[in-house]
Amino acid sequence: MMIIQTIISGILLGGIYALISMGLNMILGVVRIINFAHGEFLMIAMYLSFIFYAWAGLDPYASAILVVVLLFLLGIVTQKGLIEPILDKPASTKIFVTLGLSIVLQNLALMIFNANYMSVSTPYQMSTINLFGIAISVPRLIAFIVVIAIVVLLYLFLQNTMVGRAIRAVSMQRQAAYLVGINVKRIYLLAFGIGTALVGLAGSMLMPIYSVYPTLGASFVLIAFVVVVLGGMGNMFGAFYGGLLIGVIESLAGVLFSPGLKEVVYFIIFILVLLVKPSGIFSRGKGSEEVGL
Amino acid sequence: MKRNWLLILGLCISLVLAGCSGSSSESADEIKIGTVFPVTGNLALLGSESYRGVELAVKEANENGGIDGKKIVLENSDAVDADAAQSEATRLINKEGINLLVGSYSSGISYAATEVAERNGALYWELGAVADNVTDRNYQSVIRVNPPASSFSVQHIEFIKEVVTKQLGKSTEEIKLAIAHEDSSYGTTIAEEAKKLAETEGMEVVTVQGYASSSNDLSSVILNLKEAQPDVIIAVSYINDAILISKQAEELGYDLPVFLGSGGGHTLVDYQKSVGDLANGIFNMDFPQYAINTEYTPGLEDFVAMYEEEYGEAPRSGHSLSNYMGMKVVLQAIEEAGSTDVEKVREAAMNIKIEKGTTATGWGVEFDPASGQNTLSEPYMGQWIDGELVTVWPADVSVTEPVFGE
Repeated sequence: MMIIQTIISGILLGGIYALISMGLNMILGVVRIINFAHGEFLMIAMYLSFIFYAWAGLDPYASAILVVVLLFLLGIVTQKGLIEPILDKPASTKIFVTLGLSIVLQNLALMIFNANYMSVSTPYQMSTINLFGIAISVPRLIAFIVVIAIVVLLYLFLQNTMVGRAIRAVSMQRQAAYLVGINVKRIYLLAFGIGTALVGLAGSMLMPIYSVYPTLGASFVLIAFVVVVLGGMGNMFGAFYGGLLIGVIESLAGVLFSPGLKEVVYFIIFILVLLVKPSGIFSRGKGSEEVGL
Repeated sequence: MKRNWLLILGLCISLVLAGCSGSSSESADEIKIGTVFPVTGNLALLGSESYRGVELAVKEANENGGIDGKKIVLENSDAVDADAAQSEATRLINKEGINLLVGSYSSGISYAATEVAERNGALYWELGAVADNVTDRNYQSVIRVNPPASSFSVQHIEFIKEVVTKQLGKSTEEIKLAIAHEDSSYGTTIAEEAKKLAETEGMEVVTVQGYASSSNDLSSVILNLKEAQPDVIIAVSYINDAILISKQAEELGYDLPVFLGSGGGHTLVDYQKSVGDLANGIFNMDFPQYAINTEYTPGLEDFVAMYEEEYGEAPRSGHSLSNYMGMKVVLQAIEEAGSTDVEKVREAAMNIKIEKGTTATGWGVEFDPASGQNTLSEPYMGQWIDGELVTVWPADVSVTEPVFGE
């Protein structure tokens, strides 16, 4: 009974991890830049969601669309202003730029909001559905449904639209994409924007569940990277599978071994996967893990 | 080539200039004290809150003429973590020439900075960090005013023996205890001490759940606790995990039994704001808080007024109060020593005798000469009642009776 509850909780948790990581998957998979500031974009999204709640009384789910648009714009600006100029620079520059961005954003948030933990208070926040003795938290369920919807929409977008196909082309083979006339620079802008928009959505979904504080990014960014690399970077949906996997493993490890070891267990599995199949479990195979360093 | 030489020359000049500045703890009309607190980073909230207590004590002293007419000046540093604490303490002692330091809020920071103090012959006054290992080394350079972590465990067990047994109608041996703790030295020290003491008293410790405070999911902890069915849970948490435990217990349908927090996250207003009604009924063992019997804590109300005037908001936690009281002891020691010489200040400190119930925190002062630990300070048990943290035990400091059965 407890095992079933654990697995269900793990799946819901995995949905949250997947939601946070899908944006990173897009950026890592297309632009091939390691965005160390990914966690900070999540933090910004949550603060925006909180601001809409505190100043305009908007429920996080209602303001989600605004947060998504704002984060999309932020992504485009970041790509154009910060990433594009350094795409052909040495590896250390690429690492330090996003690392620096991460530190700047964290401390900016600390300056503006100071270190307090902010959270929203909504009527359904604490409600749970009880299904045959299994407790399912409503906000987590909503987040899970949203991530499924996103996966479906993203799949349709990437498969059936011209732009979607162009994104996949750039992700697969950048040089060839140039050759067939795809405006790669514009695709990068779009991909980064979509990536941060996805993180924006994640932030809105997370606001009823977690509190936001300036260094929140740090506790999620490592998991996001693990999820994306474990799931397979060449696969646009690797983050989804990876997230669910990590969520379930973490929850089961916490109950079967001890909560102090749950992170250890999934990191060990992560290392083993990398030794056997470095490109990730669901990747397209060798080469797709290339990051532009 | 020429550019290289200019660059090297410029670097040399700036190094020499940087090395030239330097001040000792005592100049003609100033007394300099170094501060080692985390004011940015993860611990910023309570690090800066602790620092405010120190700042207010100094401000108050300076308004009353300083020490022997000399102005007290704080030389600050930002010790985000143990590494930074080590380098900042080294900088304050060696470069700035200051040999009286106060700190640290965090035990990790304290441990690192006090090592530096010991090696360099400085005197380090600990005003807030609780890990026992800070004073267990019996360093002559360390003096601590606040109670150590082990006293939290001692008081927890006392509270269970005195109050909880009566409430539950069980004898001490019949109580089933569970401990959930974050796994840094703060959580581990209190948890291990509590487990040892509980077992000495004959209580059954049904489970001990350690977890990383940076976790963003504690459902496994809750499920394990639910399975173990304890009568009392002792929790040692920072704020993130405190919020998670309360929220996820509710999500997973686990009705928490008698729940004893140990300071950290459970003391914070942000905790109550985040979890709302879920906080009500939660007990919390911690340094003195503001809803307290002020007959036992003279000076507390004046402190709160001073704080609100200076910072435009109510104190965010009890840390500022403890650091304020501790800083006043520091200043008293310097005054009674008549100098900032480390030996003399330490000697003066060892001679200080203050009774319980006469300071702003209600703590007395009497330092153990071997370890430097104040033997007359202790944490008190508070409880969240109707959204406010009020002191409920021991009887001397309590404002109201503990509430059970929420």
